[in-house]
Amino acid sequence: MTDLLQLLFAGLSQGAVYALVAIGFVAIFTVSGVINLAQGEFAALAGLVAISAVGSGLPLLAAVVLAVVSVALVAVIMERLVIFPVKRMTTLVSLILTLGVSTGLKALMLLVYGPNAEGLTPLTPGGFSLGGVSIRYQELWILLIAGVVSLAVYWFYERTLAGKSLRACAEQPVAARLVGISLTKASLLSFLIAGTVGAIAGVLASPLYFTSWESGLTLGLKGFVAATLGGLISVRGAVLGGLLLGVLETLTAGYISTGLRDAVAFLLLIIVLVARPAGIFGRTAEARV
Amino acid sequence: MGRRTATTRAAAVLAAMTLSLAACAESEEGGGGGGGASADETGPIKIGAVLDITGAGASLGVPERQALELLAGQLEEEGGIDGREVELIIEDNQSTEDGAAKAMNKLVNEDEVDIVLGASRTGPSLAMRPIAESTETPMISLAANQAIVEDSEWVFKTAQNDRVVIERMIDYMAEQGWSTVGLARDASGFGEGVQEMFDEIGAEQGISVVATEKFAPDATDFTAQMVNLRDAGADVNVIWGIPPAAGLAQRAYDQLGIETPVMQSHGIGNQVFLDTAGEAAEGMVAPLGRLVVAEQLPEDDPQKEIITSFIEDYTAEYGAGPSTFSGHAYDAWQLAVDALSEEGTDPQAIRDHLESVTDFTGISGVFTMTPEDHAGLSKEALALVTVENGQWQLVPDQGD
Repeated sequence: MTDLLQLLFAGLSQGAVYALVAIGFVAIFTVSGVINLAQGEFAALAGLVAISAVGSGLPLLAAVVLAVVSVALVAVIMERLVIFPVKRMTTLVSLILTLGVSTGLKALMLLVYGPNAEGLTPLTPGGFSLGGVSIRYQELWILLIAGVVSLAVYWFYERTLAGKSLRACAEQPVAARLVGISLTKASLLSFLIAGTVGAIAGVLASPLYFTSWESGLTLGLKGFVAATLGGLISVRGAVLGGLLLGVLETLTAGYISTGLRDAVAFLLLIIVLVARPAGIFGRTAEARV
Repeated sequence: MGRRTATTRAAAVLAAMTLSLAACAESEEGGGGGGGASADETGPIKIGAVLDITGAGASLGVPERQALELLAGQLEEEGGIDGREVELIIEDNQSTEDGAAKAMNKLVNEDEVDIVLGASRTGPSLAMRPIAESTETPMISLAANQAIVEDSEWVFKTAQNDRVVIERMIDYMAEQGWSTVGLARDASGFGEGVQEMFDEIGAEQGISVVATEKFAPDATDFTAQMVNLRDAGADVNVIWGIPPAAGLAQRAYDQLGIETPVMQSHGIGNQVFLDTAGEAAEGMVAPLGRLVVAEQLPEDDPQKEIITSFIEDYTAEYGAGPSTFSGHAYDAWQLAVDALSEEGTDPQAIRDHLESVTDFTGISGVFTMTPEDHAGLSKEALALVTVENGQWQLVPDQGD
């Protein structure tokens, strides 16, 4: 029983990171149909910026804020330079463009930060044991902040005018434009959200899972699978998808074979795409953001 | 459902394909080219190196590159070998097997190097071996697994064989009276066959592995493996991997509050391990090359002088001390230069020279190669080392 709880807990905190990355995919895809393959790189970049900022003497919190702000800025610049100028954006074109950005960002990170993997200082170092289950404070931070961020994003889409206009773009692009909602502004806003959420994922994950120039690839893949589990257009689905993926991975590693751990994500992806392309969390997901 | 769903599905499939393509493209590099090995006795001597500079093996490949560049610079200042300039060509295999094979092909066919050093890890080294054998190019690997040089004609290596490492560990376990072993090993080439070797070598002392867990070299979460080790309840647990994975595993072990003693392999002899494992490393025991405990070695240690001067040069150049991995690169370079200056650039002569190396004092140990043993080190090349206050510390009283 202790083992199960331990594995569940580890899976949840890993899954919370996937969930945040997945929200980034969803935020952009719903508005413009763009699948942003650089989403994982946002997380990696944020981790590296924060690590080097701490290394150069900045206090941890300031470093984290700096990392999130600069990555959000990178996302916005990326939208303006790469996505905005394209007149007829199709999903295929978006994949090629964002893959290019992803490769460029990786090369840049390798050049600037070097090839070694490093970890950020945890927000609270150490941990404690509760009934035989050992818990790191950083894991609690991950769960707490991921929860708050998910709720905030959800609230934004459901309750604010800006959020509702984003949903309008997603569901009825023509009608949205007719009532005066700017699609270009919506797209910019969606990249801002994706960059911020991705960066938060990166700085939260770094102390436990470490960051290197290439850790964005795995993180992006897992986040993408999580988003697909939720149908790619639902924040709620993305969060649940992330948590589910994290838990399934750890349970597979614990009870079946550690070698199968990374296969879980892709197996899930295939099953979901074949059996339930709208995501595993229900039929109405397509109308919700 | 309807259109939206179809778009979503198409988009998802496309994205998945592109992502996996991207993963493949990671290791894209030019290859091909014709031509055989050159044995001309004029022009620059070419030494090729294939290292894991990026990817999971970066903490090995980077210090190895630094060591090679340092040594190449020193040799250039001395005027090369017999007045011939020595050119060092370093390729990054991105810690992948296919990257290593491509880089090896390029070095042999396009650059026509006289000898190849590398790769840093077992998997990539194994991928290079058939190319070395078929093109009859001398190669000195820096990796650990004995399989790299088993029955090889043209391949040698400088890192201590995993067999002698395990012999050293088994000796220590027997001394401590432990008989059951829980093993968490690297799932790539470095960890391949380790459990079988523990069982084989330990049989005499009644030591055997009771549980085996695996982790990918780029794994980040080790909770599952460590929980299973805890449940196995062995007398001692062994983590067999390289940093940062080995350090993160050590952290998870400590974090789960497992009290059982833990040992690590010789894959952790660098600062990255101490950094990633942090306080969790305290008390852990590992057989490592003498480099990490250089200043604690007795004055009469045959390796002391050469290790100390390497540390001084390396620290002066890079501002931080070398790791055992840069030591493996140092040894490979010195063996290569020794063979090249004695025999010139005839591949057969270089190979024969390497095979007859006797009492060659290096950083990783004192090498004596034979036709049967292309690794040349015995378990005496390893010292048992622990961590105290974040520093490597010789385990006292090692009985030799």
